Amino acid sequence: MRNMRLLVPYFSRYRNVIVVGVLCIAGSTVASLLQPYFLGRAIGAISAHYAPVRGAAAASLSPLYQDVLLLMGAAILQGLFAFFQRSTINRVSRFMEYHLREDMFLHLQRMDQRFYQEMHTGDLMARLTNDVNAVRQFVGMGVISFIQFAMMLVGAGIWLFIISWKLALITFVLLPMTSMGMIVVGRRMQTRYRAVQDQYGAISTFAQESFSGVRVIKAYVQEKLEAGAFAERNRDYVTRSLRYARLSSILWPLMMFVVGLTSAFVLYVGGQEVIQGQIRLRDFVQFMSTIGLLTFPMISLGWTMNMFQQASASMERISEVLRRQPRIKDTPGRTAVVTELRGDIEFRHVSLSYGDTDVLCDVSFSVPHGTTTAIVGRTGAGKSTLVDLIPRILEVDAGEVLIDGIDVRRIPLALLRRSVGFASQDTFLFSTTLRENVGFGISDPAAEDLMHAVDVSRLSKDLEQFPQGLDTIIGERGVSLSGGQKQRTSLARAVARDPVILILDDAMSSVDTQTQSEILFRIKKIMANRTSLIISQRVSTIKDADEIIVLDEGRIVERGDHTSLLNQDGMYARMYRRELLQQELEVDEQEPNGRTSQVGAAAHGGAE
Amino acid sequence: MVWHGGSHSGDDENLDEDEILGKSYDGKLMRRFLPYLKPYSKGLGMALLFLLVTSALDLAGPYLIGYAIDHDITPVRGHSHPGGLPLILAIFLAALSISFLLKYVMGYVLQWVGQHVMYDLRTQIFTHLEQLNLQFFDKNPVGRLITRLTGDVDALNDLLTQGVVSILGDGVMLLFIVAAMLIVNWKLALIGLAVLPVITIIAHFFQRAMRRIYRRIRVRLSRLNGYLNENITGMAIVQLFNREQKMFESFEELNSSYRAANLQAIFAYSLFSPAVIFFGALGTALLAWVGGSNLRTWGVLPGTLFTMILYTNQAFQPIRDLADKFTLLQAAVAACERIFGLLDEVREPPDVPNPVVLDRVRGEIEFRHVTFGYDPANPVLKDVSFKIEAGESVAIVGATGAGKTSIISIMSRFYDIQQGEILLDGVDIRQMRRADVRRHIGTVLQDPVLFSGTITSNIRLHSEEVSDEQVRRAAAFVNADRFIDRLPEGYDHEVRERGSNFSAGQRQLLAFARAIAFDPEVLLVLDEATSSVDTETETLIQDALERLMKGRTSIIIAHRLFTIRHVDRIIVLHKGKVVEQGTHDALLERQGYYHRLYELQYQEQEMAEVG
Repeated sequence: MRNMRLLVPYFSRYRNVIVVGVLCIAGSTVASLLQPYFLGRAIGAISAHYAPVRGAAAASLSPLYQDVLLLMGAAILQGLFAFFQRSTINRVSRFMEYHLREDMFLHLQRMDQRFYQEMHTGDLMARLTNDVNAVRQFVGMGVISFIQFAMMLVGAGIWLFIISWKLALITFVLLPMTSMGMIVVGRRMQTRYRAVQDQYGAISTFAQESFSGVRVIKAYVQEKLEAGAFAERNRDYVTRSLRYARLSSILWPLMMFVVGLTSAFVLYVGGQEVIQGQIRLRDFVQFMSTIGLLTFPMISLGWTMNMFQQASASMERISEVLRRQPRIKDTPGRTAVVTELRGDIEFRHVSLSYGDTDVLCDVSFSVPHGTTTAIVGRTGAGKSTLVDLIPRILEVDAGEVLIDGIDVRRIPLALLRRSVGFASQDTFLFSTTLRENVGFGISDPAAEDLMHAVDVSRLSKDLEQFPQGLDTIIGERGVSLSGGQKQRTSLARAVARDPVILILDDAMSSVDTQTQSEILFRIKKIMANRTSLIISQRVSTIKDADEIIVLDEGRIVERGDHTSLLNQDGMYARMYRRELLQQELEVDEQEPNGRTSQVGAAAHGGAE
Repeated sequence: MVWHGGSHSGDDENLDEDEILGKSYDGKLMRRFLPYLKPYSKGLGMALLFLLVTSALDLAGPYLIGYAIDHDITPVRGHSHPGGLPLILAIFLAALSISFLLKYVMGYVLQWVGQHVMYDLRTQIFTHLEQLNLQFFDKNPVGRLITRLTGDVDALNDLLTQGVVSILGDGVMLLFIVAAMLIVNWKLALIGLAVLPVITIIAHFFQRAMRRIYRRIRVRLSRLNGYLNENITGMAIVQLFNREQKMFESFEELNSSYRAANLQAIFAYSLFSPAVIFFGALGTALLAWVGGSNLRTWGVLPGTLFTMILYTNQAFQPIRDLADKFTLLQAAVAACERIFGLLDEVREPPDVPNPVVLDRVRGEIEFRHVTFGYDPANPVLKDVSFKIEAGESVAIVGATGAGKTSIISIMSRFYDIQQGEILLDGVDIRQMRRADVRRHIGTVLQDPVLFSGTITSNIRLHSEEVSDEQVRRAAAFVNADRFIDRLPEGYDHEVRERGSNFSAGQRQLLAFARAIAFDPEVLLVLDEATSSVDTETETLIQDALERLMKGRTSIIIAHRLFTIRHVDRIIVLHKGKVVEQGTHDALLERQGYYHRLYELQYQEQEMAEVG
């Protein structure tokens, strides 16, 4: 309930429209009640003419067209109100949904990576879609049916009690049973439905596992037995579904039964009242015709009550996201006044851990403006974590990361990130054109800037392969590109920003050696006056760096330039020797159809 | 990957295929579908019968009301009946109760039939899929197969349980009302029914418009969701590149175009419902006016007129619904098409008619000029020949991509070779049943596949003939018992999806245990680099491997130096060809390819040990 209060601001934006909508509901309720009224009058008149009450003389048939026209008038009025009701309340519910999703999206854009590590994409998606939808449904249909019900209750209630309190009593005792039935049966249905859904999930998971592990199943000749195990789960699903069906099949017949029961008793009691002269036939007919109008609001009230629960739970899940505050953001008052960065980087006693695992321990080093520092080390050594700290994708637990002597946490976030060009091993591309992807980080990319970036990253070599050049739409997340093309696109994206600091996090692992050295040559030229940080598994990529840092288990174990590190004959030297050996193996591939680069990449992959 | 709510799996890229709605009727498909209903024809027949009865009973109410008005409440001279209102009430209640019961039973029976048809279909699809060859699984993402198995089967069920009831039920209802009205008084009937064609036409156009709008909504929603998904996964990049504003703008565009499509739907409804209200009232008004003015000439009583008005109103609902249900029908036909398409996929080619059945093999293996490629034009193995004696242990080494894995695949007959032959005890394995080949030749895969279940169920899989005792012995044999015994529930300990609650080393040991439990005469072990195995487990694995190989023909795709050193012979594969073979020492002496390969791996090993 508390969560639903979060919706108030969304409502108040459309206060006037909602008021109009509610008035329309009122109007259409009254107009709908007027129809049985005029119909009753007409039938009453007809009856008085053809079948006069005992003792009374047959009344002359009064002109029927009056009542009939009024009836039509009421119908037109109801139609008009219904039109405006939908154009207001239903529309508002869609606008609310729109704004709710918009706010969630904006919020998500501010959240940091730790948040995304905790929340799974699937879970977030479910909140953005299913939960928003549940809330919207409640707001739209739920609110309408509730108001409709209230109006009906007041309007029809008063009218029917005036006609005959006995009949009204029968109606208002019996009909609400539909809402009750809906609530009682509906709740239990939900429980059973959940059981069905659970088993549905179990079936899918089983099939998923089985298809993914189909090799093992076949290797052990388990196909038939596996199918048997599937059938067992399938049978359980049927059992649960039928348990649900036993309830769900009763719902609608039950509703119809209750409505029929109401009609039957109104017929019996009302008929007697007419015979006894307590009410007129027209009253009876009016009563009979109104029962039909009351039915739907009654049923949907019960439905709304159930929906409320669901919407409330969904709102809880939505607000869970909205309540979370980003940990990485500009802190007012602490933010330094800087408009430009030069690019002197310094790590001072930096430590960071995920849970109980220390990822970085007391790391200190500095990268002066205009130099290149390389970081090497085995998988899991903490290299990526280290560079993620510079553009504040992550934040330190202890120590500080400084740029130009200012703690990165005090540099305006937008400026900080604008100054960094980042290409990582995870080349996340967006399913749009190459051009959009390359110019991703600049506001109005000039054609020559893009071409320059494409040239530096040597994506230019492949451009003619793409049917529309830079305007080729790459499939979902770049599926239509090769690994190397993806990496070069991501590299171009970083270079295009003309960054003060360039960070390459193993960004060329799938690029062949030849192309890689072409890229490095070009990058060296453009980065002459800037700061670069390069992570690589390949020594050849980084041996020209001004300083090489060897990271192992979160600590700096060796540092120096290529020659001095070789002289130390430690981890770096071993890495280097291994690589030389590998190259030797690659050179050996001298068959005519041998694609050296492929084998090289494969051998490299095997070594990881 | 699976988020049940929105869509069933990461099947988004196939949205187009899955979104296409078929025709609403396809004779060939229906003929193929009918046999699935046949076993349940009794149930269906009963439901159909009940449908007729309840539809007739639903006519009772309005009739009784009119009758009571004419005969009891304001009786017209000469019209009366002995029972009076109590009798009417009794009949009314009886009709209601019977109708209620029959509707309930009918609803349940239909669900019952639907669920059983789904059960049959699903089991058939699953069984069929299990028998398809690996190429099929290489080509088809698992997500899509799951959609066939769940979503599409459900669409058929919807058709059966909701569609059939509504379409048939509404049709019958409509027919009965029209018939009843014509019987009571055909002139009044014609007046009352005059508006029906108009409503039908309006409903038809409305439905057509709605179908278009709904498709638009679906497309825009999936675009919006795809965009959201991409942004959430790539949020780090968006933030790094200061792209929030632009991404937000595109989001706004998608978000509002989705809203616009929904507003179109609202608009269509806001036009449709007044139309229904208007024409419904028109029918009533015409009956009251024209009928009321001509009652005597047409010989109708006032109550009957009221009955006719109630009937007219009753006829409206089915017409509105009927149009609705055609979408359901379309979805079902499309689903049916996809399901049958899957069932038409050919299984593995059948085994030879008179297969050679070997009871127990010695385990002599020979490759004779074997050439094989997943794509025949692009062979992975080229003219490979070698012979392995019974009981010999052989390691196959080579750089990644040299064709080592393919050797395992073709020996298990997951794929058949293009040229040459593979002999087991001198018999071409293509002359044997696949199942037999796989029984004789056991495999341990590189990435051990574990299924959710228990330790026991992962070792014996579904085979009842592997006793608990054998499971234990197998586990003990490969050193897996040490960690299993430490688990609170021992062999009944839960294994989660993909064995995620066990370490890589433990998973490897369980896979060994599985292989041993089935006691094959020939063992293939794919033992590529496994990362993050602690030293203790590593020792256990090495020890287990050695024991596995002892006394049986074993081929190991080796990574560990240890294993390479301990086999009888090493075959060096390079680019799909055998380039060297011999013992470890002999090969090292040759200073050839193996020597360099060994050096490289030795370096790696050393690196790992330093770490």
